[in-house]
Amino acid sequence: MVSIPHRKSIWVFHLNSGACNACDIEIIDAITPYHDVERLGVKLVGSPRHADAILLTGPITIEALPKVVRAILAVPEPKIVIAIGSCACGGGIWRDSYAVLGGVDRLYTYLREHGIEPPITIYIPGCPPKPEAIVYALAMVRGLVEQKQKKIEYIEKPSIEVVEYIEKLSKEAKKDLEKFFKGIEVR
Amino acid sequence: MGRTDLFSKALSTKVVTKKYPFEPVEVPEGFRGKPIIDPDLCTGCGACANACPPNAISIEDDLENSFRIVKIYIGRCIFCGRCQDVCPYQAIKLSREFELVARDREDLVQVVKLAMVRCSLCGKPFTTIRLFMKVINELPPESRALATLCPSCKAKVSAYGTSFARR
Repeated sequence: MVSIPHRKSIWVFHLNSGACNACDIEIIDAITPYHDVERLGVKLVGSPRHADAILLTGPITIEALPKVVRAILAVPEPKIVIAIGSCACGGGIWRDSYAVLGGVDRLYTYLREHGIEPPITIYIPGCPPKPEAIVYALAMVRGLVEQKQKKIEYIEKPSIEVVEYIEKLSKEAKKDLEKFFKGIEVR
Repeated sequence: MGRTDLFSKALSTKVVTKKYPFEPVEVPEGFRGKPIIDPDLCTGCGACANACPPNAISIEDDLENSFRIVKIYIGRCIFCGRCQDVCPYQAIKLSREFELVARDREDLVQVVKLAMVRCSLCGKPFTTIRLFMKVINELPPESRALATLCPSCKAKVSAYGTSFARR
């Protein structure tokens, strides 16, 4: 569950900020009778003032930025932003382009600079994500399923034999090189 | 088709809606899902970071603690599978996982920290132990000394060597 107010039906507003249409088609696919997110209480509305959540697609082009900010501000509290696709999550292949802001993270730094506290965000990576992934995200917002993703961290501990072998090798190498370059400092 | 035919067809059609979040769903064959690094096989060579179109994979050297950090941020990944194609040790593979929803950006990160070898002259870490061991086993014993040097020290040593040879 993401937050207590979002346990009930969430109405969503679809906001395209310069996406290529792939993620938008997947959103439409999630609304069709085959996947049918309306059984989870999710409804597509035509105005951000009626919505609880924003389905944000696209890498947020500079041209779309003022409209995106206005749409996010128009959503009543408690609001939630669902970033759909790699572009919205982290900029995707446009991350370095001069024409885009590059993902919600940079949008939030922009909002913080202007004194606006960023809303709760759900990330759905994928290029585009499967409609099932979008359904899963909306079910997670409702508190019906749990988040599966976790940070994975691995720190290598090399075996003592290997470390000793390398130390021995570098000692020998140092001795050899000092003999070879006698009187000359190699730094 | 008359109106009654349409009505009877609508009645005979069963429910098509999937019960998805409550029932698991099969992904099609050849589906490219979340890329996962096998930390036991990865050598930190950086081929995947070079090939990655959106730079979702990054490689940094932590010189103080002598670690090479391979970091993959799935939020930027476009699931093209090039990392899987270029990996020489088949360490990174695209799984069939697609429920990658996360509340926090950090949940979408996989970090692999690999221990590094220090240069025998200047003491600066320059390559991972795994990559070093793979190279050292291929070399003849007399040239193993040069392999323990970092690239800049190696250049200096070879330059001194050639200048002495000319005298």
